[in-house]
Amino acid sequence: MREYNIVITGVGGQGVLTAANILGWAALRAGYKVRLGEVHGMSQRFGSVISYVRFGEDVYGSMVPEGKADVMLSFEPVEALRYINYLKEGGMAVINTKPIVPVQVSMGMAKYPSLDEIRRIFEEDFKAKWIGFNAEELAEKAGHVVTTNTVLIGALTQIPEFPLDAEHVREVIKISVPPKAVDVNMKAFDLGIQAAKDILGL
Amino acid sequence: MAKVSDIVLWDKPGEKVLLLGNQAIARGALEANIAVYAAYPGTPSSELTDTMAAVAEKAGVYMEYSTNEKVAFETALAAAWSGLRAMTAMKHVGLNVAADTFMSAVGMGVEGGFVIMVADDPSMWSSQNEQDTRVYAKFANVPVLEPADPHEAKEMTKYAFELSEKFKHFVILRTTTRTSHARGDVVLGELPEEIKQGKRKFGKFKKDPSRFVDVPANARNFHPIILEKIEKIREELNNCPFNWIEGKEDAKVGIIAPGLSYAYVKEALAWLGVDNVKILKLGTPFPVPYGLLEKFLEGLEKVLIVEELEPVVEEQVKTWAYDKGITIPIHGKDLVPRIYEMTTRRAVTAIAKFLGVETPINFEELDAKYEKVKPLLPPRPPSLCPACPHRNSFYAIKKATKGKAIYPSDIGCYTLGLLPPLQAVDTTVAMGASIGIAHGLSIAQNGSLSEEQKSPEKQVIVATIGDSTFYHTGLPALANAIYNRSNVLVVVLDNLVTAMTGDQPNPSTGQTPHGMGKRIPIEDVAKAMGADFVAVVDPYDIKTTYETMKKALEVEGVSVVVARQPCALYKVGQMRRRGMTWPIYQVNEEKCTGCRVCINAYGCPAIYWDEEKRQARVEPTMCWGCGGCAQVCPFGAFEPVKEGAE
Ligand code: SF4
Ligand code: SF4
Repeated sequence: MREYNIVITGVGGQGVLTAANILGWAALRAGYKVRLGEVHGMSQRFGSVISYVRFGEDVYGSMVPEGKADVMLSFEPVEALRYINYLKEGGMAVINTKPIVPVQVSMGMAKYPSLDEIRRIFEEDFKAKWIGFNAEELAEKAGHVVTTNTVLIGALTQIPEFPLDAEHVREVIKISVPPKAVDVNMKAFDLGIQAAKDILGL
Repeated sequence: MAKVSDIVLWDKPGEKVLLLGNQAIARGALEANIAVYAAYPGTPSSELTDTMAAVAEKAGVYMEYSTNEKVAFETALAAAWSGLRAMTAMKHVGLNVAADTFMSAVGMGVEGGFVIMVADDPSMWSSQNEQDTRVYAKFANVPVLEPADPHEAKEMTKYAFELSEKFKHFVILRTTTRTSHARGDVVLGELPEEIKQGKRKFGKFKKDPSRFVDVPANARNFHPIILEKIEKIREELNNCPFNWIEGKEDAKVGIIAPGLSYAYVKEALAWLGVDNVKILKLGTPFPVPYGLLEKFLEGLEKVLIVEELEPVVEEQVKTWAYDKGITIPIHGKDLVPRIYEMTTRRAVTAIAKFLGVETPINFEELDAKYEKVKPLLPPRPPSLCPACPHRNSFYAIKKATKGKAIYPSDIGCYTLGLLPPLQAVDTTVAMGASIGIAHGLSIAQNGSLSEEQKSPEKQVIVATIGDSTFYHTGLPALANAIYNRSNVLVVVLDNLVTAMTGDQPNPSTGQTPHGMGKRIPIEDVAKAMGADFVAVVDPYDIKTTYETMKKALEVEGVSVVVARQPCALYKVGQMRRRGMTWPIYQVNEEKCTGCRVCINAYGCPAIYWDEEKRQARVEPTMCWGCGGCAQVCPFGAFEPVKEGAE
């Protein structure tokens, strides 16, 4: 495999960087050359964020170019839409459908688009596959909202032809969360896997 | 995944690990047996400093968070004069602060290796301007090394120390956001015995006034020395392991790719499926080694220079080619944009045009499709955190001034007070500039209290500045304002850490990486300087904060109000780690009248508007329990409902 490109989007503070780091380590352990690109500083304060994960035999820059992402992992629906131009035609989007409403929307200065409209743009205009579900709800079911990102990563591993083995990814999560949080995270990971399987009809 | 500080200290040569560019540089400095490290944090350089802080004690390195870049520079420089290997790091604008010492001391050279890491931020992801440090390097005649990936960043750091020591000259290691904040595979090298044992190294300063005192008679000797050194270094760099020629030897076209642009060029060529080109990979954009350049240009019919920001390499190449009578077309900034950061798309587009081929993706079509999406996207700028004490301070300032003051502010999280609904930031220029600008505004509009003629109307001016920024460059500005009898209110937003860059300590924190330093309370400084009114408030108590602001505004002269409450993000992080809980506020549906004060005047990001019920709501996963909403709601609708751990 020459290269595999993932973009991860969301709101600063949601765990976008952590998710990228977990996938990066899993790819490194699988023997690939790895590049992660991330944002630090001001945008981390509840602003819109995007991180890049690239691996393969032949990767150089840390940013995925527009139109070249194989998959998108998004923590928030509007933040998925904001970076839709990174996805390649026929790409896949794993999306947490629970919105975080920006202050500007609450103040009545902007509108939040409907979930149906966002989904339509993904599927029709950009010819992408939409794998959307409320990951936060599943995380709570697993035992803690902070495991939302583990739920999403679990779902990601079920994408057809995803190059990293789900069990390898699980191992990295196991050693990167605090010992007492391992069980909830494993549960969250499984719930994510199941959600994606249900949607994909696997 | 082991802890980063452990990985950076791992005694496992040959092990492949995933490190952030900045962490890789820290490892490189350890492999080079660094002894002293001093810096002031600034994105995108901060993680280098934080990593050094985390490993310093175990590695026997002296490390400090200095109060500004100039002081940090001087600390490390003096260590290098004492024969030790020393390093300082800053963001591009930090070099402006250190520039006075940098430009004056370069002629004096060093004894131990001295490396200045400068992280540029093209596209200004977290900065107030876009500035190319390579121009500074050229200005100062200091060589600059620029890595193409995290592993090279580590290797280059070692080389930078050796180069510096060999020529007794300063060396700049320049990164950009995309190297500093890129993670990549890094192969660990050997650690020196002293680092492994954590042995602190001490130096000896040998007096030499003809070298270290820059009175004109001595300084006159410096400039020729600098010029001689840089030409010798240019010679040396022909053999630098980070400069090489690759690709088809008999190719007719060539591409010069300095620093990180090399990565983009490689990727672009692979994407285009083009391989009949020759590449000059340049790890040293200044000085360009002419011997290697001459070899590269042999047989070429045209050349493209793909570099980010300023045409630093282009100007050197073109000048040299002109002098040599080489007349082949040399392209650069005519095809590659001079503003904002390099991307693969930019490299692909420039190379495609240069070679007269099509781009692999029709970017115009993609853009057109995306243009239709844009109007649907609500903006989501970064915002002050939930429970951020600054929100309350701004809220109280706005109320006390009825929104009629001018609000000069500064560099830090609180710059975000510029956004609606607070809109309490009218100017930000550079670190520490708020007080200077406030003074200037006051002089221009009110006049000084020491002047006889008074202006007919008083313009109220309220400056805001953070604790770290206060100690960075606020101090001289405050002394100036007090001495020259300004009429301003200075509010020091003291959250006890340097929050924006990741909670580094400063004199207001007191704590240093080695343990307890000596805390310097801001109010004591203000009093000692002779401010006309000094008070300390807790911004979580909005009413008292407001009343104190009102009182301060009545005082003629310079008033200083210190609004002290720890950074909420920092505090919540610590509470989480200790398994502590905090109250989560909710809106009582009976009491909420839908007045929107909490949203339209206060703006905690955890509060949102419920369209259906036409009431405010709190997102429980985002509430950090400060109780600010309960204080601003005129109907008492916010109530703490449960103890939450997250
Ligand atoms: S990091 Fe701290 S200072 Fe900065 S916005 Fe958040 S709470 Fe406020
Ligand atoms: S208590 Fe109120 S103001 Fe404070 S974080 Fe929670 S919702 Fe925001």
